[in-house]
Amino acid sequence: MAKIEIRSEITGTVWQVKAKPGDRVEPGDTLIVIESMKMEIPVLAEDGGTVQEILVKEKDPVAEGQVVAIIED
Amino acid sequence: MTWRAEIEDIHHRRKLAEACGGAEAVARHHAAGKLTVRERINALLDPGSFREVGKLAGRASYDGQGKLAAFEPAPYVMGIGRIAGRPVAVGGEDYTIRAGTGFGSDRRKGGQGGFIEDLAYEYRIPLVNLIDGTGGSVNTARRKGYTVVPGYGQDGCERSADLLGMVPVVSAVMGTTAGGPAMRAILSHWSIMVKGRGQIFAAGPPVVERAFGVRLTKEELGGTRVAVDTAGTIDNVAQDEEDCFRQIRRFLSYMPTNVWELPPQIACADPVDRCEDALADIVPREARQAYDMKRLVEMVADQGSVFEIQPTFGRALVTALARMNGKVVGIIASNPMFGGIMDVKAARKQGHFVELCDMFNIPLIFFADIPGLMVGAESEAHAILREGVRARYIGFEVRVPVFTVIVRKCYGVAGGGMIDRRGLNFKIAWPSANWGSLPVEGGVRAAYKREIESAPDPAAREKEIEEELRELASPFRTAEAFAVEDLIDPRETRPYLCQFIDALQPRLRTQLGPKYKTGVRP
Repeated sequence: MAKIEIRSEITGTVWQVKAKPGDRVEPGDTLIVIESMKMEIPVLAEDGGTVQEILVKEKDPVAEGQVVAIIED
Repeated sequence: MTWRAEIEDIHHRRKLAEACGGAEAVARHHAAGKLTVRERINALLDPGSFREVGKLAGRASYDGQGKLAAFEPAPYVMGIGRIAGRPVAVGGEDYTIRAGTGFGSDRRKGGQGGFIEDLAYEYRIPLVNLIDGTGGSVNTARRKGYTVVPGYGQDGCERSADLLGMVPVVSAVMGTTAGGPAMRAILSHWSIMVKGRGQIFAAGPPVVERAFGVRLTKEELGGTRVAVDTAGTIDNVAQDEEDCFRQIRRFLSYMPTNVWELPPQIACADPVDRCEDALADIVPREARQAYDMKRLVEMVADQGSVFEIQPTFGRALVTALARMNGKVVGIIASNPMFGGIMDVKAARKQGHFVELCDMFNIPLIFFADIPGLMVGAESEAHAILREGVRARYIGFEVRVPVFTVIVRKCYGVAGGGMIDRRGLNFKIAWPSANWGSLPVEGGVRAAYKREIESAPDPAAREKEIEEELRELASPFRTAEAFAVEDLIDPRETRPYLCQFIDALQPRLRTQLGPKYKTGVRP
């Protein structure tokens, strides 16, 4: 079981949280949607696994590279 | 009398060279999951095409009778060979011999300048550096009896700089790399690093620990995560060595042999008039929604021809070599999955890729969906304006034909950077396109402040003005004014572009040769 840190690629604010701890996710599933520059930018699971932790909530500001979720594969 | 004894000696010494650093060192190297430099060269080149130069170079010792007693081969292997039938120069450090450091030869074989770089320059053929060495050592002072100024004697990098304007140069980071060899990795048109095996840094963990008291692993300091994904120091990641050689061959398949030749054209099995129906609906009507730009590009380009450069760095922009009707093109596409915004990374990525394509006579196709430069305090602190304007300046210097397909947004300074103002200024819009200095939503309140504030119902007035401006923003109006050269059915994008790419080939032949830059980049 490896822990995979999921990072935001972009600076913005959390628009929607789509996944919750315990959810099974497949590669390419949307975990969180970041709003930046009037665009909705999905943060995707790059590998499949179980969501262990979601580290942000709606309206939170996020920085580029910030860990926003942790998945266990 | 015959020379057979000496000839025999040549063959004997060649055998000794093939043993690299000896069975034990080779076994250690293999155990670390790495091929020897000789195995690497053979895996990279067309089978049987390697012709080695300087195989007898090394340190020999002789017995009392003047017979060869021991021989340590030079820690660098190089020569010429073929990739897809075309000649290339190739070389790499032999890590099994003193970790690939220098050996005090009269002339350097390669790696940090030397014969193989000179050969690539003199013959005008591509150079592939297989890098697995850490460069200088304090031992040099002991050997010479004095210390040397950087860039001394054989260690200059002037030839490497010359090559960047003349022949394709590829660098592969296959082991831990610092110092001079690391510099060579950067002095290339395209670089790749093997995941988990390659690391690159200005100086390794012991130096960092002494300087800052921070203990880091090699991987944490300069593995692919840092050097490729985060910093863009190296362009692409290889999953293993075989994948690395496959990608090198792939990259070179798009490159001409030198700047005096056109990139190789191939017969195209994919019908030029293939019109993918999915292109009609790929862009969501909701402006905030993202879509898969890579899929869009793949539907337009020749099937299976898209090869991404820097796929994990500056992901708001996709840069890829591809083919249209068998002819090489450079594709630069906004990636709405990452906002499509030009941030400092995307700006650097665009500038480098545009220069690469221009140098090797590869026409450019932009697919624009760009809301502008990345705003905010952090972005400004990283010099977004300077980086963004530099990307645009590099665009001004381009001599290859450029197309812009405006897929959706094209705004501001960054949007202008995806438009070719220098040449034909050929812009093809999709019906989903909209453009301007800044989007209507953000601009109305600022531009019509007094009018809105003095209205009986300011909010209603603002909405009214917005509606009016949005109607004017229809791409049909701009097409009527011929202020955009064409508005097309998205499904026609492939046949439309293919025909123009075919038609511009004569132009490319008129501008072969080195490109001398003028001016000072901002």
